[in-house]
Amino acid sequence: MTSSHHLAVDIGGTFVDSVTFDRESGELAVEKASTTPADPTAGVVNAIEKLGLDLADASSFVHGTTLGINALLEREGARTGIITNEGFRDIYEIGRTNLKRDSMYDIRYNKPELLVPRRRRYGVGGRLDAKGNEVEPLDEDAVRDAARELVDEWDCEAIAVCFLHSYQNDEHERRAGEIIREEVPGVSLSLSSEITREYREYERTSTAVLDAYIKPIFDNYVEQLDDTVRDEGFDGSFFITRSGGGALTAESATTAPVHTILSGPAGGLIGASFVGDIIGRENLIAVDFGGTSMDACVIEDGAPAVEYESALEELPMMIPVFDIRTIGAGGGSIGWLDGNLLKVGPQSAGADPGPICYGHGGSEPTITDAALALGFMDPDQFLGGEMDLDADAALSGIETKLADELGQSIEEVSRGMFDVALANTVGAIREITVEKGLDPRDFTMVAYGGAGPMFVPLVARELGVGEVLVPQAPSVFSAWGMLMSDIVYDESQTYISVLEDVDHDEFERRFTELEEELTEQLSVEGFADETQSLERYVEMRYLGQEHTVSVPGQDLADLDELGERFEAKHESRYGHTMDDPPQVVHLRVRGIGETDKPTLEKATADGAGEPVGVRNAYDFAAGEMTDFDVYKRGSLAAGQTIEGPAIVFEPTTTIVFHSDQTAEVDDYGHLLIQGGV
Amino acid sequence: MGDLTMSPATDDGLDAATIEVVRNYMTSAATEMQRTLTRTAYNTIIYEIFDFGLSLYDAEARLVADAPGLSLFLGGNDYALRKGLEHIGEENLDPGDIVLLNYPYWNAAHTLDVCIFAPVHLDDELIGYAASRAHWLDLGAKDAGYVLDSTDMHQEGLVFPGTKVYKGGEPDEEILELIRFNSRIPDKVIGDLHAQVAAIQTGGERLREIHRKYGSATVNAAIDHIIAHGESTTKEGLEALSDGTWSAVDYLDNDGVSDDLVPMAVEVTIDGDHIHFDFSESADETDGPMNVPLGRTQAMCKFVVKTLTNPSRTTNEGHYRPVDLHAPEGTLFNARYPAPTYTLWASTLGVDVIYKALAKGMPALIPSSTGGDINSIMLHSTDPASGRRYVEASNEGVGWGATDERDGPNALMHYVQTMVRNIPLEVFENKAPVRFDRLELRQDSGGAGRYRGGLGIRRDYRLVGETNVLSINKKTRTPGWGQFGGAPGAKNVVVLDVDDDWQARVQLIADNTDEHPDDGLLYVGMMRGAFRPDEVVSNRSGGGGGYGDPFARPPDAVLEDVIDGYVSIEAARTEYGVAIDGTTIDREETDRLRDA
Repeated sequence: MTSSHHLAVDIGGTFVDSVTFDRESGELAVEKASTTPADPTAGVVNAIEKLGLDLADASSFVHGTTLGINALLEREGARTGIITNEGFRDIYEIGRTNLKRDSMYDIRYNKPELLVPRRRRYGVGGRLDAKGNEVEPLDEDAVRDAARELVDEWDCEAIAVCFLHSYQNDEHERRAGEIIREEVPGVSLSLSSEITREYREYERTSTAVLDAYIKPIFDNYVEQLDDTVRDEGFDGSFFITRSGGGALTAESATTAPVHTILSGPAGGLIGASFVGDIIGRENLIAVDFGGTSMDACVIEDGAPAVEYESALEELPMMIPVFDIRTIGAGGGSIGWLDGNLLKVGPQSAGADPGPICYGHGGSEPTITDAALALGFMDPDQFLGGEMDLDADAALSGIETKLADELGQSIEEVSRGMFDVALANTVGAIREITVEKGLDPRDFTMVAYGGAGPMFVPLVARELGVGEVLVPQAPSVFSAWGMLMSDIVYDESQTYISVLEDVDHDEFERRFTELEEELTEQLSVEGFADETQSLERYVEMRYLGQEHTVSVPGQDLADLDELGERFEAKHESRYGHTMDDPPQVVHLRVRGIGETDKPTLEKATADGAGEPVGVRNAYDFAAGEMTDFDVYKRGSLAAGQTIEGPAIVFEPTTTIVFHSDQTAEVDDYGHLLIQGGV
Repeated sequence: MGDLTMSPATDDGLDAATIEVVRNYMTSAATEMQRTLTRTAYNTIIYEIFDFGLSLYDAEARLVADAPGLSLFLGGNDYALRKGLEHIGEENLDPGDIVLLNYPYWNAAHTLDVCIFAPVHLDDELIGYAASRAHWLDLGAKDAGYVLDSTDMHQEGLVFPGTKVYKGGEPDEEILELIRFNSRIPDKVIGDLHAQVAAIQTGGERLREIHRKYGSATVNAAIDHIIAHGESTTKEGLEALSDGTWSAVDYLDNDGVSDDLVPMAVEVTIDGDHIHFDFSESADETDGPMNVPLGRTQAMCKFVVKTLTNPSRTTNEGHYRPVDLHAPEGTLFNARYPAPTYTLWASTLGVDVIYKALAKGMPALIPSSTGGDINSIMLHSTDPASGRRYVEASNEGVGWGATDERDGPNALMHYVQTMVRNIPLEVFENKAPVRFDRLELRQDSGGAGRYRGGLGIRRDYRLVGETNVLSINKKTRTPGWGQFGGAPGAKNVVVLDVDDDWQARVQLIADNTDEHPDDGLLYVGMMRGAFRPDEVVSNRSGGGGGYGDPFARPPDAVLEDVIDGYVSIEAARTEYGVAIDGTTIDREETDRLRDA
């Protein structure tokens, strides 16, 4: 029996996407099944079954799940309690006291509901100072009493423990953990220091709480799914994708599931980096344009940008996550009038009722309806002909809701909706590039998601980006990308010292400790030495600053060199250096276990696909309706060049480029759309 | 109702999408200016406390888009730009000129909030202005750090009335040298100046881009629509409010020099789609630095109107057309040369007074009062081990007020600086000789009511080394306010547990100890001094006001509050008339208490 298949399954809001790649034949198969929120396992199983794959043939199964984030959004996580230091039980509630930017003028603002009410937050005696030295011993009896009360009085299913300065010294947290396990063995436990060793007590507490909150649900799900696929004969490795890059084994994922909470968009970024590497593009802007939102992330030197401070529902998380900018602009985004201004989104018709043209009761005109009006979509070819679109209803919806009010034609308003959505998108992408001192014109955009291949070539024209890459099967690209995941673990340690006071031996010792933890973890998971790699980073700043920059810490001759790297990084990011002394804040190590991944085979060119027809559609370059050649993607051959304006249909998406753009089919079947600048 | 929303088709041939695209472009340009500033600024107050404001104007100096960091910096540049143009004369500005202005009475701020603006030209044609304001660290005022007791402008640092710091694209080295020689921290100040210039240049470049893309005629026509839209949404917002005239007064603890309460009074009139603010009944100019220049008073009014009518829309000139105000020259809210303006505290606390007046006319829209202050404690000294100077400060959240439908949220920053964050304990303990004893919500600090006010906080600084401590609190003597029988929240207070010889080391600028039980502790507002190890400074922020009769609060809700410890069993009984025994309500006793 050969186990040559790699399997990946990505759960989205509407669809579960499944992808399998046969290493021997080089064949890729993709399927979609409906998401089943009540029993998520069912949707996954359906999507796998549609592939017709014998699970005994699969050597690996990579899975991306939105389970954690859904539990949070729907407030269906575990009943959670907090144990912290005496006098500090309100840290979790007081937080940082600020409002988010879009609420800054809202005097009637109210805080989102807390995951842990005050009654379930206990303070116990014991205190460390900022160096990690014990100032007051842990009151073990108080921990015992608190654990008991949380379970007996308040029915807690999970407990999060966070003590001040545990990032320096985790002894009190570990001891409290032992006591809790003894006292209330059935309860799920999250220790802040096991998730992150960085300072800022509110953010660390919140991270531990999120972890505790989703842990029981996550554990059950992973166990159930694991059992199900094993029953079907699967005997390979089971991985879950991480929010900040790579994947981890399902078993590790259950020890700190918070690391999976934003893993939804991760697959696409891994895939984009992978494709970029193959075709020799290191600097990419990955744009996932779906039904309700646009997710964009910068990939620089082959690595997607990662941030260490993010928040979900205003609840901060201190774990690495991809730095993704999301705005409410997608195929389902609704066009509406604010007085005489035409707005698009952030409200979306979603999957239900969906755009007017779906005929499911949607009455508000969406970008998808506008795309029909502009001729970009063939109403008979949607989802490979599985679904008919009602073009007449779409046009009349645009007419009555918008065009009549504005005294404009349907075509003008539809083009206007595209212009407005483009302006929103372009603004968001400028922010993630220009903000970091990056010029978008130095990048290639990668277009995926259902609406990406239609919309991103327009975004590129606006931004002056000269090249757009449309990968194979763009609407399931996120699942495909998961096949390319390496196993990644991150460890970090807050270590605050002015650079000139750093003792090199101590610095090395701390890094080595982190590295040993990672190597051990990777070895336990079966990674041979030659498949392991480690990356060091040092978070640094000038004394007095709060924000840090991440400086590569690999292959340092001495600490002076670290100072030089920091200054260079500061200069490139902030445009200047300062006279203040540089300071080290955190040490980070990323441990990578290289997995056995599919390789892309070059396609052979056998004749060029001819147009299958012509459609009248709106050419944004010429500013008028004109004839677009229509192609089927499956018929295109490597090396073929297609002059715009043209539309390329594939079963689950439509690629559109305009008269100032040209597309080239590369050796791997990617479409590279160029020009328009 | 504004005409424009009634007739969406435009008569100048502009389509709705183009207007929206231009608006979006301008807004994102202002945001980009802000990112440029925070990315390149040298001082942490800019990129941590958001003490800045950026804005873009058209050729007639009308605000087209802005990106304030502090909520109260809204529109603050507008006044400065107009005064600056008056001073210099528009005709004297050439492409590449950049102007520096911090003369308080023209600048809508104190000397350290420096406004820098520049004309933007495309092919020698004036197409607009870009402006940036940011807090500088030092311009040679009488004290380093923060000045609490200046008595005239000339103690507050170097002043520029609208001075070209760049001419034709080239920096004027003599002006830069003047700044350098008048600042205690010259490198950072010059660095911040360059950051502001970079921000302006970013804005100017984006402005030129949009003019190139659409042509100036289209852009200017779109701006007319955008401003008209701003005006109409504000007017619609005002129309939706009740007409009437309401007034309120509240007090600053003192002016930092003498010890009398300083009255801040406002009368607000809404008449159809117009709103008018009158500050005539406020105190005369004070001897100490509480005074507010007129431009800042305008910003207060703009801020309030925005929160009432357009809290989530981006701001433009049109939003302010229906707004005017009156504050006689020489009074607290219209400071004249040479009145001291360094702390500008009346502008922070004055915002609450405006809401207090408005609440009388529209109680369903206005929450009861917040804790009312920004409750800042600052530690500064030199670390004896390293010899390095440190300045660490944290502002605290206050309780916000209850509304007609919900309790007030606990521990949020004051309205005027909602994006500012407190400083984590672990960060603070790493930087300064302090170990915190607690950071908790203050039980019973939320004003009682059918809906309860939010709770303030208590943060206890136990010092572990010698250090200087400063408290910046200006509302510790007078209470906030509730509505319809709701009680005010607890007042702000700083409590000092100090050794007996404190008098030689600590100066109490507002001493309230007499009002409190004689427990050996000092109860104060503003103070500064040199503190010793094991002395404790307890910063306690005020609670929000309640809404409605506390006896109308369902006993079960009171019980929930008692279980969570937001309300004590005693207060449940005395303020809410709810008798609680352990975790159950004594219904009979509750009825008796409530009927009494």
